[in-house]
Amino acid sequence: MASAGHPREPGKKEEVANTASGPGASDLDDPQFMCCVCLDLLYKPVVISCGHMSCFWCVQQAMHIFQESHCAVCRQPYKHFPSICQLMHHLLLKLEPAEYKRREKEILEEEKRIDTYSPQIIEFLNSKNNEAGSDEEFRNEDSETEPPQEVSLDGSTVDEHPKKIKLKDVSCPLCKEMLYQPAVLNCGHVYCVSCLPSLNEEAPKCHVCGSLHPGDFPNVCLDLDHFLEEYFPAEYESRGQKVQSKKGQFNREGSSSGTSSAKGSSRAQHADALDIHISIGCDSCGVYPIRGERYKCKDCTELIGFDLCGTCYRSSSKLPGRFNQQHTPDHRMELDNSALLPSFLRGQELQMIEALIAPGTMVPILFGNQGMDDHDEGQGEAVVEEPVVAPGDMLHIVNNNQEIEEDNGEEEHEA
Amino acid sequence: MARGENQEAQTGNVPAASSAAAGPKPAAAGSGKGAEGQSVVRRLQSELMALMMGGDPGVSAFPEGDNIFNWVGTIAGSAGTAYEGTSYRLALAFTAEYPYKPPKVRFDTPCFHPNVDAHGNICLDILQDKWSSAYDVRTILLSIQSLLGEPNNDSPLNTQAAALWANQEEFRKMVEKLYKPAA
Repeated sequence: MASAGHPREPGKKEEVANTASGPGASDLDDPQFMCCVCLDLLYKPVVISCGHMSCFWCVQQAMHIFQESHCAVCRQPYKHFPSICQLMHHLLLKLEPAEYKRREKEILEEEKRIDTYSPQIIEFLNSKNNEAGSDEEFRNEDSETEPPQEVSLDGSTVDEHPKKIKLKDVSCPLCKEMLYQPAVLNCGHVYCVSCLPSLNEEAPKCHVCGSLHPGDFPNVCLDLDHFLEEYFPAEYESRGQKVQSKKGQFNREGSSSGTSSAKGSSRAQHADALDIHISIGCDSCGVYPIRGERYKCKDCTELIGFDLCGTCYRSSSKLPGRFNQQHTPDHRMELDNSALLPSFLRGQELQMIEALIAPGTMVPILFGNQGMDDHDEGQGEAVVEEPVVAPGDMLHIVNNNQEIEEDNGEEEHEA
Repeated sequence: MARGENQEAQTGNVPAASSAAAGPKPAAAGSGKGAEGQSVVRRLQSELMALMMGGDPGVSAFPEGDNIFNWVGTIAGSAGTAYEGTSYRLALAFTAEYPYKPPKVRFDTPCFHPNVDAHGNICLDILQDKWSSAYDVRTILLSIQSLLGEPNNDSPLNTQAAALWANQEEFRKMVEKLYKPAA
């Protein structure tokens, strides 16, 4: 297989934002917060630990169903689907109210069609607060991070001030000053990268929501950093000087250049392929796919289900589901092995399996709760038997899947 | 969360391009369902816009007829390579899973190259396991353009071409001999 003399890194778009004219000038038609996957304005942005940002669904759909995933831009491996970065979400809502609302509408239509929803952010603050208390304590993950004024700002035309973004919108929860070289934790909360070591050297624990940051130490989110530099040039400079002068105290550099190692975490995959729950992710820490124990909620009715990895099942802090599930603490959880590789497949090459289960199939249903025995029947049959929501759609998928299968076979043959 | 796949992937036979992007003819009215693959159509339309606004020298692409899921691309052989002065047509077929899965890319114009077989199939990592959802038509074409001048002779599809690569003069002759530009 030829490897390309890559003409450029994927996703490096050349368009440079409205450099001229200071803050607030031409916020509109400013493409700097464009998602490199859907090529549209970022919507409900998620920041991966390498510091690159995409839309919630763009990351979710690109994740690998049984291996670690790789950033679309820099290919750094990652295993956790991060929570939405609410700071970015509110920032975009203020910068590009009209466009952001358009995106919201588009995505909501799509979500209705697939009957699976991304987390509600502002809306739930307004409307869901009056629901049952137990629900609330799960859902208000971030309510305390955002100053209450934010809520009133969803009426898009309110703000005609020269600066749509205030300093308090972009402050670090630790040093309380403007973010400088911001890095985003798995829970979606943003800190100056120079503040992070004070959280905990080994695994940073979020000061705001208390969740541990799994995986690699987060890199600076350069898109946000550049924005701050342009939008608040004076503050940014003075923050920079301050941080520089403090730097001696910290071992870790506040730079984006690979604090995290891409190596150590990977490549034991074939060995422990047996305990992977294919295409099942943890709704608390976001690890995807889950390895080892998987607990499934018996009471959540959403199509996407509610699952926890062993660690999160045993931990006390549980975040709300990643897909707006109405999970509550009194729901019953049970160990579930139905998405593990069926025994007859074990030991085969992962590539073979990939041909069988191309991402984009209804894997959880194919390997549904029917016991392992009848899996060697045609996939199509297994799917049809399952009386789930939209049989028509699934038949489509099966057809499509078979096509993919053939295609893959072909390609491998040629390669 | 269990990924309830896959929204985007439902249609094997993709719906026809819905709108503006395609040529003067009205969009084919064939498929009744518009919703599926909408986001794929949107992404392809943005790519088309970007390509039309600021093109790169030596590569171009446009949807074929009414179907925005099938594109025709053109790349010019780079100066200073054995392919200088040639121009190749490629066919790009997108699925409803794009950009999470790469499109299928094939040479339409016969191409004598170590990593291209007699049917125009291309062996290129970014079109297979090294695909990233941040790649687009433009980067694919640029990658193939640079592949022309920098083949990977370790895993050839066309062994004759790989063997001949060392002798650039002879190689150039073969390229010219087998080159049949599109009408």
